[in-house]
Parts: sequence; C-alpha cells; structure tokens
Amino acid sequence: MHTTLDILKQHVEYRGQLFKLAKSDLLKTYRGAALGWAWAVVKPAITIFVFWFAFSVGLRHGHSIDGYPFFLWLIAGMGPWFYMKDMIQDGANSIRKNKHLVTKMKFPIATIPTFISISKFAVHLVLMLIIIAIFIGAGHAPDIYYLQLPFYMLCMFLFFTIWGLFAGMLSCISKDFLNLVKSVVQALFWLSGIIYDARTISIVWIKTILLFNPVTYIANGYRNVFIDKIWFWQAGKENLYFLIVLIVMYILAIWAYRKLRKDIPDVL
Amino acid sequence: MDDNQYAIQIHNVTKMYKLYKNDKQRFKAIFSSKVPYTKKVAINNVSFDIKKGETVALFGRNGAGKSTILKMITGVAFPTKGDIVVNGRVSALLELTAGFDLEFTGRENIYLRGQLLGLQNDEIKKIEPEIVEFADIGVYMDQPVRTYSSGMKARLGFAINVNINPEILIVDEALSVGDKAFRVKCTDKIHELVADRGVTFLFVTHSTRTAIDFCDRGIVMKSGKMLFDGDIQEAADYYDGMVQKEIDEKKKKKAAEKLFNQEAEKPKEK
Repeated sequence: MHTTLDILKQHVEYRGQLFKLAKSDLLKTYRGAALGWAWAVVKPAITIFVFWFAFSVGLRHGHSIDGYPFFLWLIAGMGPWFYMKDMIQDGANSIRKNKHLVTKMKFPIATIPTFISISKFAVHLVLMLIIIAIFIGAGHAPDIYYLQLPFYMLCMFLFFTIWGLFAGMLSCISKDFLNLVKSVVQALFWLSGIIYDARTISIVWIKTILLFNPVTYIANGYRNVFIDKIWFWQAGKENLYFLIVLIVMYILAIWAYRKLRKDIPDVL
Repeated sequence: MDDNQYAIQIHNVTKMYKLYKNDKQRFKAIFSSKVPYTKKVAINNVSFDIKKGETVALFGRNGAGKSTILKMITGVAFPTKGDIVVNGRVSALLELTAGFDLEFTGRENIYLRGQLLGLQNDEIKKIEPEIVEFADIGVYMDQPVRTYSSGMKARLGFAINVNINPEILIVDEALSVGDKAFRVKCTDKIHELVADRGVTFLFVTHSTRTAIDFCDRGIVMKSGKMLFDGDIQEAADYYDGMVQKEIDEKKKKKAAEKLFNQEAEKPKEK
C-alpha cells in the first residue's frame, strides 16, 4: 500500500513533466520519417487491410456478423490492438530505452511506463476518431453505447501501463525477458478474440482461457460499443476475469518495483 | 547546531554491488536468494559533511568510488547502508551527457531538461540565450545531440547545468574534455556562482591542477575508503604523492619480478 501511494505521489508531482515527455516520445517516434505523422495511421491501415483481404477475399470467410460487414467488425476489434501491441513491446522496453532518465538524473522511474503509455494512447485516440468516422460513413451513427468507450479505454490504459511498469523493470535486469515478450506478442494476438469471436467458441475451457486474456476483454469491450450494443455489466464473467488479471498484474508490478527499484540504476 | 548549514550530509554510507556471473544469474536472483554472487564494496563506511557554499573536489583513481558517491548524492543510486541528506536543488553533470536525449537537438534538450527540473517554458526561454552563448557550439545547437563530439556534449551539459540556478552543482569529469578557453570560462562561471549565489560545488577529477582552480577543500578516496579530507592544496599533494607511490611500487614490483625470473632462468642455462 505504501509503495502504491509512493508511486501515485510521484505521478502527481511529475504530472506536468509526464505530458511533456509523452509529447517528446511521440515526436521521436514519428519525426525524421518522410511521412511523419501519417505513419501513426498508415501502419494500422496496412495491417487491417491485410487481415481484411486474407479473410474476406482469400479465405472467403468474411461474412457479415450481427448485420455488420466483416470489415467493420474487424476494425472495431483491431482498433485497440495497436495500442496494446505497442505497450506490450515498448512498455517492456520503456525503462531500458529511457536509461538517461534513470542513470543521469533524479527521476521517478515508475512514471516512465506511464508517459510511454500516454504517448501511445494519443495515437490510439486519433485512430479511434478515424474508426468512428468510418462507422458514421457506413451509416452507423454514434449512439448511447459510445458512452462506455471511455470505460474500456481506461481499463486498457490502466492494465497496460501497469504491465509496462512490471515488464519494464524486469527487462532492465534481463534482455532475455524483453526478447521473450517480443516473441509472445504474436501469440497473444492469435489467442485473443480479435480475429474471431471468442465468445462463440464451443469448448468451454478454451473459451475461458481466451476470456482471461486481457486483449480479448478489451477487443470484446470495443465490440460491445460498436457492434454488439451491450453494456459492460451485461458481459458477465468477462469482467470478473479481467479484474482478476488486473489485480494479479498490479501485485506483480508492485513486487517488481519494490524488489528492483534500487538495483536498476546499478545495472542499466 | 542548526542542520541547515549543511548542503550534504553523508553518514556511514556503504554501497555494495552484487556481481553475478551473467545476466541470466541476475535474473534468477530476482526469484531466489540462493543464486551465488560476489560482493563488491564500492563505498566502505564513508562519512563527511559539506557546508552550504563549500567547493569540494573528490580525488581518486578509477574505481575509487568517486562517481558512486556523486550518484548517490544526486539521488540516482541508493546506498546499501547509511544515510545521505541533501538540502537544496541538485544539478548534476554525470559522465558528460547530463541525461541528454540523443535524438533531440541541443536546443530541444535545453527545454526537455528544464521541463524535467520543473521550469516553465517562459522561464526556460529566458535562460536559453545564456545557455546558447555559454555552450558556444554554433550551428550544432540545432543538430541532434547524437552528432556531437564529447567536447560539445560536455559544453552543452555544463552550460545547461550552471544556468538553471542550481543550489548544489555536481560535475563529474566533464571539464577534462574542454579546451583551455572553455575551462577558463567554466572557472569564472563557477567562481561567480559560488561567490554571488552561495552555490555548493562538488567536483570529481583525476587532475589535481584543475581542482585547485575550482575548490577550497579536497577529499581523497581509495578503494571505497576516504583517506584524506582537508585543504585543497594538502589534498592535492596527498593524492599526487599517493599516485606516485603506487607507480613506484608497481615499478619496483616489476623490477623484482624481472630479477626473480632471471635468477630462476640461470640454473637452466647451465
């Protein structure tokens, strides 16, 4: 509890700096490339196109779901994936990559994953605006269910920022851990409900495992908003599963922080 | 006595590094306390106080623990045992780069650094010309820091650190890379900061001559222990003497070894 308070206090104290650092992280990511900011949108657009092409044209499996064309169903679930993917990888690399903040000046290192997360989240917001525009263009105007979009965004931000703290600390000690994380990303994607609907899997235990994947929870949540039109409290056990995973992640992050905070400047 | 007359108080500080065979062992050690490691004592029970406005030089050869002490005072590293109390805003130039983001230009780094220290943009704008003038790196100011030479990095780092109104200024080696003209400029600036604003100055170096220019007090360290603490001239003499003695001893040892080897080889020849 004490550690949590400490970390929160650091966030409050450095709130101004965090946004400045998030901004400079964004600048660093996109500057120097010919397309600059457009990359933030081009990369997801290409990925989405490839998946749409493979399923709709290639496998001819892209039938409409719940009266929505497959393409819309796909982008509703994939929209948050790019933030999640970035955070799984770059969150794990966040402290290592910002070594100069750790070894050269006094800076609260628990806030490093947070400003990385803010930077990725800003890109996510832009992407979501485009996705909402696509839905409107396709004749699906925003409705009352959009109100829960901030709730799912908050869940996502919270979980993956805490993940960033946990994985970021461990990655400082071991590069193997960082490589492990990078190789697990693809698995997490295919074992989530982004490309298929995890709720309709008939083998119960597999379904349960998939629903424990926080990526599934967030993708399903975004589809609750855009496609399924249900409220989060109607999603049943999914909420409980996510809460359990969130708490476990939180405990792990605090444990890693307490264990490693003082060692990290010595090993980086 | 009033504690506030001290800028830095160091009480019985020990810093121990745990050295593992490799990163894999270190990773394992997170989960188990049975993983073997070697202890390396970098700082061994060191205590000293530095009053506000004092100028102190830390002497010592590589591995003496000078940089470790500075890092702990800055708040970057943490002591294994003992306490460090620091009163005042620390501005530290550790290992030249001063926490630059290499992808950003010098000018952007001025802002980034200022923001990290909690300054507002208009406050930074006010001191920006001073920093640019002081660093004197010309067109490089708007180039990414990764293109800088070590001298340029040190100049910019130094310029930023002395111009953001520090209360405690810590400089690690940085002055050894600058040329003579820049060193003179730095000396003047530091004298000005110390005389006019009562800044506490802490300086690490191998060069006793540079230190005498800057400091009134000297501390000599060897293998994590404090050997001497006193007047800068005496400290410099002590340190130079110590280094000379070590070199002589090494020479003697080598000569002895040579002699021994020769003696050992002689019977063989027969």
